[in-house]
Amino acid sequence: MTVTVGDSPSPPRMLVGCVIANQALCREHFRLTLRTEAIENALPGQFVHLGPPSADAGDDVSRKGTSFAPIPLLRRAFSIAGMRLVEGDRCDIDVIYRVVGTATTWMASLRPDDAASMLVPLGNAFPVSKGKKYAWLVGGGVGLPPLLWLSEALNRSSRSVTAIIGARNRDLLALTFDESVEIPVDGYSASRVSAEFAANDTPVILSSDDGSVGFRGHAAAALETYYSRAGVAAGDLVVYTCGPELLMRAVARFCLDRSIECHVCMERAMACGTGTCQSCVVAVHEAGSPDGWRYELCCTQGPVFEAGRIVWPDSGGGVQH
Amino acid sequence: MSSSLSPEGVDLSVQLAGMRLANPVMTASGTSGYGPEYAPFIDVSSLGAFVTKAVTAQERKGNPQPRTVETAAGMLNAIGLANVGLERFVTEKIPFLATLGIPVIANVAGHDPDEFAMVSARLDEIPCISGVELNVSCPNVSGGLDYSTNATQLEALVTTVRPRVRRAALIVKLSPNVTDIAEMARAAVRGGAEALSMINTLSGMAINVDTFRPLLANVTGGLSGPAIKPVAIRMVHKVYSEVARDAGVPIIGMGGIQNWRDVVEFHLAGASAVAVGTNLFVDPTTPNTICTGLRQFLADKGIPRLTDLIGQLRT
Repeated sequence: MTVTVGDSPSPPRMLVGCVIANQALCREHFRLTLRTEAIENALPGQFVHLGPPSADAGDDVSRKGTSFAPIPLLRRAFSIAGMRLVEGDRCDIDVIYRVVGTATTWMASLRPDDAASMLVPLGNAFPVSKGKKYAWLVGGGVGLPPLLWLSEALNRSSRSVTAIIGARNRDLLALTFDESVEIPVDGYSASRVSAEFAANDTPVILSSDDGSVGFRGHAAAALETYYSRAGVAAGDLVVYTCGPELLMRAVARFCLDRSIECHVCMERAMACGTGTCQSCVVAVHEAGSPDGWRYELCCTQGPVFEAGRIVWPDSGGGVQH
Repeated sequence: MSSSLSPEGVDLSVQLAGMRLANPVMTASGTSGYGPEYAPFIDVSSLGAFVTKAVTAQERKGNPQPRTVETAAGMLNAIGLANVGLERFVTEKIPFLATLGIPVIANVAGHDPDEFAMVSARLDEIPCISGVELNVSCPNVSGGLDYSTNATQLEALVTTVRPRVRRAALIVKLSPNVTDIAEMARAAVRGGAEALSMINTLSGMAINVDTFRPLLANVTGGLSGPAIKPVAIRMVHKVYSEVARDAGVPIIGMGGIQNWRDVVEFHLAGASAVAVGTNLFVDPTTPNTICTGLRQFLADKGIPRLTDLIGQLRT
């Protein structure tokens, strides 16, 4: 399960995870750690499809677990925020979630030793381009998790990695702050204020919409500011982004306008996570198609897409998003 | 009830419109793709039969997203018959299906009787296709409900397709969105249906109270999942007792099946086989756990053959 960038991921399996920890990270975000059988190979960008353990083969008993939270029917998809080999033949999988509805309310009710069912690992991974000296990770809100794990993998590949992470305000940044580190507000300089990124030797630029922490503005604006003085050639840089679609669109535009390689990690509601239900469509350009675009599935053909392939919502052309 | 019957000694096999199913559990159309999608999780050849996603003459992109949303004990979907189209289905999807060695049922949809007939006829030529299921009731495509809510039109549609399907079993999937489903079943049987699948999804809708907008881009969708099971059981019971039993036309029961208890209910109500749909999204191994549970249940009851259960409701 050691992550080696460039390996192909293991086929997905349905596994039962045992809750190891379920911690609040900030006002609305939690980190859930599940222990399960070792997964031979999974890669940053991939996701886990998470739900309550199956009812016991028709015996009419309530599902296992001690909570009285509403139980969701369908699984929910979460980017893997981290994965570690433990106890020789087990692994711990981290997901970071924000409580927004039935499923995440159930997740917030989980306690150590409770069980959850997982389909894992699913989806594709962030491609890691050879020859790019600089990798910048631009995340907003709950788009942070896959970038955390990516920073760990990139750090081992001896690139210069910088994270640019934004939220609406400080209370919604799901990071652990090192209070001894001053947080730059100019957008030009990165710091080691985030313990999570610092552990991966990744300096971080923080931004907030209201200026309550770091650079005032969204993460795409911070990216633009940082780039303006970084002195990095476009051809030496690759940008990975995950977050609200408006943010990713702005990051994609910025990169495409400058011929900077950019990969976006998309989010879609999905029922199956495995390519059957056809819920999670993403419109992509297709030169050969009569109307110039087609749908791909976020679950099996994504969630990571090359930014230039995505047909963003205001692109016109009659694309149905 | 004590018995000396072992679970392994129970016969789960079913004869269904000329097809032999090793067990009664099939997939419901649209919930298991074209086969390979669930191969990492389940031996697809262990199913009683595999039912494909709908196939139409031309490729269809389907509806804008959001296409699905969870509701209480269920989900709404409005996929819009997104599929690769007939020719790509034949060239790209059939090779995997041909390796399964179990009955494969192709779900067929179309704009009009001619499209249904053309697609059905082409699929009838393919040896591994054992059945053609007419999707007369997809609620998410404009006009898709007409054939399923008007008995005269439904009978005309089935009558048009009937002579074009010579080898495979002709199955008609019924909509629950009607006043009297038995009347629709009679129309399908008059048109030449050899089996009835029931039920398709119930028409439904959900609204985001913050934005005042529908939760599905298509506004309305089809409700599936455990929420609809009692509706499905009642409809299977009605069609079995009023139409299918006397006509000798088997019913494939579906709607909210999660476990073997649900399957036993469908069989007692009159279904000869069953299909798992939404619960495949929750647990792709559901068909296997159902079979294990069914064997144990029948052994415990001292019932040697699953077929002994069909229609045994006591009222």
